[in-house]
Amino acid sequence: MCGIIGYTGFREANKVLIDCLKRLEYRGYDSAGICVMGKKLQVFKDVGEISKLEKEIPSFKGDIGIGHVRWATHGKVSKENAHPHLSGDKKIALIHNGIIENFQSLKEELQQKGHIFLSQTDSEIIAHVIEEEYTDTLENAVHNALKKIKGSYALVVVSEQEPDKLIGACNESPLVIGVGDNENFFASDIPALLKYTNRVMYLDDGEIAVITKNSIRVIDGKKKEVTKKEEIITWTVKDAEKSGFDHFMLKEIYDQPESIHQVLRGRISEIEETIGFPERVESILNAEFESIHIVACGTSFYAGLVGKYLIEQFTKIPVFVELASEFRYFGVKKDTSLVIAVTQSGETADTLAALREAKSAGCKTIVITNVIGSTATRIADAYVLTQSGPEIGVAATKTFTSQILTLFLLALKEASVRKTLGPDEIYHYILQLKKLPGQVRQILNNSDEIKTVAKHLKDVQSVFFIGRGIHYPLALEGALKLKEISYIHAEGFASGELKHGPFSLLTKDTPVVAIVAKDETYDKMITSIGEVKAREPPVIAIADEKDSEIEKHADFVLRFPSNGSPLSGISIAVILQLLAYHVAKLRGCSIDKPRNLAKSVTVD
Amino acid sequence: MKAVILAAGEGKRLRPFTETMPKVMLPVANKPVLEYVVDAVKNSGISDIIIVVGYKKEVIMEYFKNYDGVKITYVVQEKQLGTAHALLQAKKHLKGPFIVLSGDNIIDQNSILKLINDPSKYAILIKEHSHPSKYGVVFIEKNKLKKIVEKPKEETGKFISTGVYKLSNTVFNDVEKLASEGIYALSSVAQSIVDRGEEIRTITTNSWMDIVYPWDLIRVNEAMIHKSSASTAGTIEKGVVMKGAVSIGKDTTIYSGCYIVGPVVIGESCEIGPNACIFPSTTIGDNTVVHPFNEIRNSVIMNDVHIASHSTISHSVIGMGTRIDNNFSTNPGEATVEIEQEFKKLKDIGVMIGEDSIIGDGVATEPGIIIGRRCKVSSLNRITKNIPSKTNVM
Repeated sequence: MCGIIGYTGFREANKVLIDCLKRLEYRGYDSAGICVMGKKLQVFKDVGEISKLEKEIPSFKGDIGIGHVRWATHGKVSKENAHPHLSGDKKIALIHNGIIENFQSLKEELQQKGHIFLSQTDSEIIAHVIEEEYTDTLENAVHNALKKIKGSYALVVVSEQEPDKLIGACNESPLVIGVGDNENFFASDIPALLKYTNRVMYLDDGEIAVITKNSIRVIDGKKKEVTKKEEIITWTVKDAEKSGFDHFMLKEIYDQPESIHQVLRGRISEIEETIGFPERVESILNAEFESIHIVACGTSFYAGLVGKYLIEQFTKIPVFVELASEFRYFGVKKDTSLVIAVTQSGETADTLAALREAKSAGCKTIVITNVIGSTATRIADAYVLTQSGPEIGVAATKTFTSQILTLFLLALKEASVRKTLGPDEIYHYILQLKKLPGQVRQILNNSDEIKTVAKHLKDVQSVFFIGRGIHYPLALEGALKLKEISYIHAEGFASGELKHGPFSLLTKDTPVVAIVAKDETYDKMITSIGEVKAREPPVIAIADEKDSEIEKHADFVLRFPSNGSPLSGISIAVILQLLAYHVAKLRGCSIDKPRNLAKSVTVD
Repeated sequence: MKAVILAAGEGKRLRPFTETMPKVMLPVANKPVLEYVVDAVKNSGISDIIIVVGYKKEVIMEYFKNYDGVKITYVVQEKQLGTAHALLQAKKHLKGPFIVLSGDNIIDQNSILKLINDPSKYAILIKEHSHPSKYGVVFIEKNKLKKIVEKPKEETGKFISTGVYKLSNTVFNDVEKLASEGIYALSSVAQSIVDRGEEIRTITTNSWMDIVYPWDLIRVNEAMIHKSSASTAGTIEKGVVMKGAVSIGKDTTIYSGCYIVGPVVIGESCEIGPNACIFPSTTIGDNTVVHPFNEIRNSVIMNDVHIASHSTISHSVIGMGTRIDNNFSTNPGEATVEIEQEFKKLKDIGVMIGEDSIIGDGVATEPGIIIGRRCKVSSLNRITKNIPSKTNVM
C-alpha cells in the first residue's frame, strides 16, 4: 500500500526522489522519508505529506538513493515507523511495501542475538535480517534473507559497502525497473517514473534485480540470470495532470465520453454488427462452462454486480459475484466455472490471490483491468483492457463505467456465441452503445442541477441510496462514492429490502436517493418511494428524462437521457459521481486523497 | 523568444459550435485551429509558449497536455475584457521581446519567422484584404504603422491587422496605462505607441485566415485540407476507390464500394460504407459512422456523428455527436443569414448543425440554415429558418 522509489544515475538523487514521491503520494500518505548515499547513508523521515516535508528535507549530496511514502499497516503513524529503515550497524537502508507474516518469530530470533529495533514495523526486521546475512555481497545477502521471509513485499536496499548499486526484489507486491540513459530506477508505480523514462521492466515474484546507473541484472530465486523484456509505456507524465480541473476526480468524471470510446474502440462494428475481442478472450468465451464467478473488491465489485445482471439477462448463464477477499479463502471453485476478475490496477492483492486460487482449481480466468503488464494480466489466461488511461483520484470514476461497459461487451459477445440474442438484438445494443458518449456529455453539460441538489445533502448525517434490479449495485456505488470522499454516512439498499430492517433508521433527516428507470421495476420503485415518503425524508429521484410522473413523488429530480436499455446505468453512474463530488467539495473535503484510503490496495 | 497565444475567447458568433468548446478548439481538417497556431510557432523555432485561456479552458488544457516539443504555460484570463487585458495576464512570464498571436487565426511559420527576424523593437503582421471594413484597418507609411482603426465606417485602406505582433515587455507600461482608463484592445495599445512617437514596423503576410462565423469552417477547411498529408491507416476493403489525397485514421474501416475523391480527411475509429461517396473537400472526425448510399461533399463532419443511409450532405457543418436518420438532404445555394443582429450574404451554403442534435428521416434544409445544439427535428420537416439550441421541431 506504500509507494517506493529508488534512483541511481547522474542527477541529484535528493531532487529526483522527492519529485517521484510526490507523484506516488496518492498511494500512501501518512509519512514519508528518503535516504541518499553520500559518503555515508543520510536519512530523513517524518510524519506528514511529502509536499509539506519537502521544505524540511536537507539537501543531501549524492546520486543514489531510495524514498518511500507510507500508509500504516504495522505500527502506528510515527517518525520511527516511517521508512527508510536502517540495519543495526546503520550501514544498510531499506524501503518496503507489503506485509511480512513471520515477522514476530524473526524479531524474537534477532532480539536474542542482540538486535535492537527502533520501530514497530515489520519492515525494519528485513533490514536486520539482511545485515545478519551480509557476509560477501549485498546481492547474496538479500537473496538469503528473502529465503527466511514469508509474506508479500516489494523492497529496495542500499548499502554503504557497495555504494553504487540498488537491490530490489518483490513477491506479491508490484515493483518495476525504470530504464533510463545513464540512470535507472525502481518504483512501485509507473506514474512516478514517467517524467524521467517510459521504458520499464516488470519484476516477477521471487526475482531480485541489481541496478547501477548503467547496468541492470535480474536473477530468479535460484540465482539464475533472467532476461527481462523492456516495455514502452504510452502514457505521458502530462496524462497525470489535472488539465485545469479543480480535482483529478472531476477531470476523470469529465473524461468519460472519451473513456467510453476507448472501451468500445476496435471492439464493436455498427456496420458489421459484430463484437470482437482478442483471440485468447474469444477462445475462452467459445469454450464450455456452466457458470461464471466475478471476483473483485470495492467499486470493481459493484461493477461486477452490474455485470451479473447483464450476463444473466443476455446469456442465461448463472453468475456469482464474490468479494475477492472472501473468495480467496472460501467458496467453491470448480473447473466448470469461468472466473472473471475485475481490478483497475491489476495489483489488488486480494483479487490476485483469488485469481491464483481459481487458476489452481482449474478454472479458466479472464481479468478486466486498466493496466497492461500488471500482475493480474500475467496470472490470468486472458485479459481485457478497459483502456481508460491513468486514474489518479482515489475514488474510481471512469474506470467504473469502463468496467461495466467491458462486462456489457463480454455479455453481448457470449450471447452471440450461445445464440441467446439474435443479430438484430445485438445490433440494437450496438446502436445504444454508440449513443452513450453523447448522453454522458448531456449530463456533464447540465451539472448545475446536480450542484443544487448537493447543497441539500452537505449537512446531513446519513443518506440512503435505493435501487432495484440492475440499479441496486448502482445504489451501492452511489453510497460508496459519497461516503468515501465526503465522509457522510451512506448506505445503498435494494429497494425491496428497506422494509426488512433499514426502515428503522429512516427519519425526516435522512435523505433518500432513489434510482428510478422506465423499466419493469418502475412501479415497484414508485411504491418504495411512497413507503419512504411516509417517513418524511427528502427524496432525490434520479429519473428518465421522459418520466413525467416522477415530480409527484420526489422532492428533487435529476434526469438522465432515455436509453431504454441497461446502458442508462452509465449515465446514472455519472450523476452519482457528480453528486458525491459536489457534496464533498461543499464540505471542503480532500477529494482526490480521502483520509485513510489508498488508490490500489496491494496488501491483504 | 517566447510567444503568447490568446485563446480565452468564447466566440459568440460561432454558436452553436462554441457552446461547449472555445472557438480556438474548432476543428479544421480534424485539427483544432489553435494547434495550427501552436505548430507554426513551434516550427518557427520558439520553444516557450504561453497560452492565455479562459472560456472552457479545460478543453484546451486537456487537448494540449500531450503536445510535445514546446513548453506550454497557461495563464487564466477570468473575464474576457479584451486582447490587451489578455496579454497583461501573461506579464510575469515575459522578459525582453516576445510575439503575440490570436489562437483563432491560422498563420504559417514563415510569417512568424519574418516577424521574429525583423530587427525592429515593435512590429505588426498585416494582410491585404478585399473587405477590410469588418477588421482593424491599418494605414501605413514606409512600412511603418501610422494609424489603426477598428471596423471603420468611412475611411478604408486596403490592409488589415492580423493581430500578430512582435512586442517587448516595455509595452506593459502602455497596456497598464490604457487599462487604467478602461481600454483593453491591443490595437489601441499599438495606436498609443505610435502616437507617442515610437515605431511599429509593418510586415505583410498572405497566409492568414480567421474564423468568425460558422460557415467560415467550410471555407477554412477547404483551404487547409490540402496541407494534411495523405496517409491510410485502418482497414480498407476490396473494391474501395480512392483518388487524390485521402487520409484515413487508425481503427477506421472503409467498406467495399466506397468512392472517395480527395482531398478528404477521415479520423480514427470510423465506419464508412459500404457504397458511400465522399467528395472534395470533406473532413470526417473520429468515431463517426456513415451508412451505405450517402453522398458527402465539401463538408465538415465532426466526431461521433451518425449518418444513416441515403443522405446528401453538401457545403455543410455537422457538429459532434449529431445523429442523422435516412434521406436527409441539404440544399446548398445562396442565402442571407442573420447572426448576432448582422445580416450576411452567402453563396453555396448548406446547413450548419450543432452538437448532439437529432435529425429525423427525410428532413430537408434550405440554404444557410443554422440548427442549434441538442435540437430534435422530427421526420419529414423542411427547415426554412434557424433553430435555436435545445428546440424540438415537431
